[in-house]
Amino acid sequence: MVRKKVPEWLNSTMWSTPPPPSSLNDDALLLRNSPSSTKMSSMKKETDTISVTPPPSTASSVPSPSPRPRRNGSSSISGEYGNSSSSVVAPSSAEDFSRQAHLSAELSKKVINMKELRSLASQSLPDSPGIRSTVWKLLLGYLPPERSLWSSELKQKRSQYKHYKDELLTSPSEITWRLVRSKGLDNYELKSGSRCMLSRSRITDEDHPLSLGKASAWNTYFQDIETIEQIDKDVKRTHPDIPFFSAESSFARSNQESMKNILLVFAKLNQGIRYVQGMNEILAPIFYVFRNDPDEDSSSHAEADAFFCFVELLSGFRDFYCQQLDNSVVGIRSAITRLSQLVRKHDEELWRHLEITTKVNPQFYAFRWITLLLTQEFSFFDCLHIWDALLSDPEGPLESLLGICCAMLVLVRRRLIAGDFTSNMKLLQHYPTTNISHLLYVANKLRSKMLV
Amino acid sequence: MVLVLALGDIHVPQRAADLPPKFKSMLVPGKIQHILCTGNLSIKEIHDYLKTICPDLHIVRGEFDEDARYPDTKTLSIGQFKLGLCHGHQVIPWGDLDSLAMLQRQLDVDILVTGHTHQFTAYKHEGGVVINPGSATGAYSTINQDVNPSFVLMDIDGLRVVVYVYELIDGEVKVDKIDFKKASSTSAP
Repeated sequence: MVRKKVPEWLNSTMWSTPPPPSSLNDDALLLRNSPSSTKMSSMKKETDTISVTPPPSTASSVPSPSPRPRRNGSSSISGEYGNSSSSVVAPSSAEDFSRQAHLSAELSKKVINMKELRSLASQSLPDSPGIRSTVWKLLLGYLPPERSLWSSELKQKRSQYKHYKDELLTSPSEITWRLVRSKGLDNYELKSGSRCMLSRSRITDEDHPLSLGKASAWNTYFQDIETIEQIDKDVKRTHPDIPFFSAESSFARSNQESMKNILLVFAKLNQGIRYVQGMNEILAPIFYVFRNDPDEDSSSHAEADAFFCFVELLSGFRDFYCQQLDNSVVGIRSAITRLSQLVRKHDEELWRHLEITTKVNPQFYAFRWITLLLTQEFSFFDCLHIWDALLSDPEGPLESLLGICCAMLVLVRRRLIAGDFTSNMKLLQHYPTTNISHLLYVANKLRSKMLV
Repeated sequence: MVLVLALGDIHVPQRAADLPPKFKSMLVPGKIQHILCTGNLSIKEIHDYLKTICPDLHIVRGEFDEDARYPDTKTLSIGQFKLGLCHGHQVIPWGDLDSLAMLQRQLDVDILVTGHTHQFTAYKHEGGVVINPGSATGAYSTINQDVNPSFVLMDIDGLRVVVYVYELIDGEVKVDKIDFKKASSTSAP
């Protein structure tokens, strides 16, 4: 069995150490020429394909290109170095301004070029308000590419959500009283003066609070109580460090309410998978982004928009939440196996060390990485950047996700190879803070390698 | 949306062996928030059984209760309503609306739950509403031999109440419904 030699570029120092908080002067990190020239090169964002040249020290036999032509991808990477660790800072370099301008230009077109948008988004979006919200809605297919259709689409979807809420979230008491009012019987006042026997009306349709019938609204209500409690607990625990979710303010409380509503409507509409712990983590970034949209209209309807986008995002991953499908081709185990194969393909030595020597079963770490879409591994704002890349993948987020997971492993390979079971497990379950754009870059590179 | 169970006059073991199985199958724990029991259980086992349905149990003393520590009357607030509880053997004539209305004014409650007659009734008068859940086991009383087992479940939601009456007639559970509401109270609770 021929042992595949680890390519030089993969083994170079730049992959193994977590990059220090970005300094453009750090030569070891830059993949291109000197820092001073990057600003120059960014100015000419031509339509040439990137040829990523590794630092002059390594041989030129390195596979270079990424087949995906990116207009200003090359310049943006170096620009990101300055910015990705700080989340809400205005773009401080020329590339970011240009990227943002490019994006805004793209977004203001009458018919948006989805392919173009996807490639722009795969570099991760700028943090300026409003852009991410609109781009995510487009990427998830919630908004159609034709701008003119937006208002009608939104209206229809939002009213549909309202309808769902009315239908599914009203308490049985409320339902009973609506029925009473509609029949015009709503006239017994407690202290209205007359004396009489209160009249009774016979219930024939089985709907009383103690009913055990399948069709009874009360019975469904009591059965849902467990789900409601679970959702409640999880939502309260979501991101305790971010005031948007967990402050004592009424804003945070209303956000929690909205999230609970979304999850409950989803659970009731999908009796097959109902609510599974972790769905709150997947909903959190979506809701956060939409709710913080500076556009009044979008922000106030964030709940409805987030619901549909959440459904769309989850539709690719539904099978991971169904326990019976665990061992099937579409289940979570097969995804983990694919990740393992991916690692093996790119870095046989690392794979061998991880799985065979130290017996770190990928299930121990990759399960959480995959099912929660990396929300637990990085800070919240880093996650938003990663999700930009995930959502921009035309083949669906899963492909990118596996690529990023592979990149995560490759980036710490030195520590992994030097470590034993315990230290490796510790490292992988508490993944160190990384420069996100660097990570995305590596992931893209690995992916393009696969296609070569 | 608070569910309050009102029942009483169970008379186990003297006059009845147990609640009807159809009732017991419906009274599962976890659904009901309060129980108001009009009395005459008469033994501790029934008290324990009611405790399993709901931990918030209020009982008043009937003349056959073995536990002498239950109070004669009790009042509590649920939602916007004040409820009063009394067995009813103290109110003479038994089951008379005027006398019960007097008791209700005395207790100053919106809904008075009382028993002893083993007959379901729901009256409305100027002072409020009087509800008698009847006998949960269908035990005979000194004034009534032919008794259908019955109990009452109230759904208190803000200012509105829906009263569900569960009666066992000819072996089948029949459910009736009464709704009423209260004008928003001017006095502070």
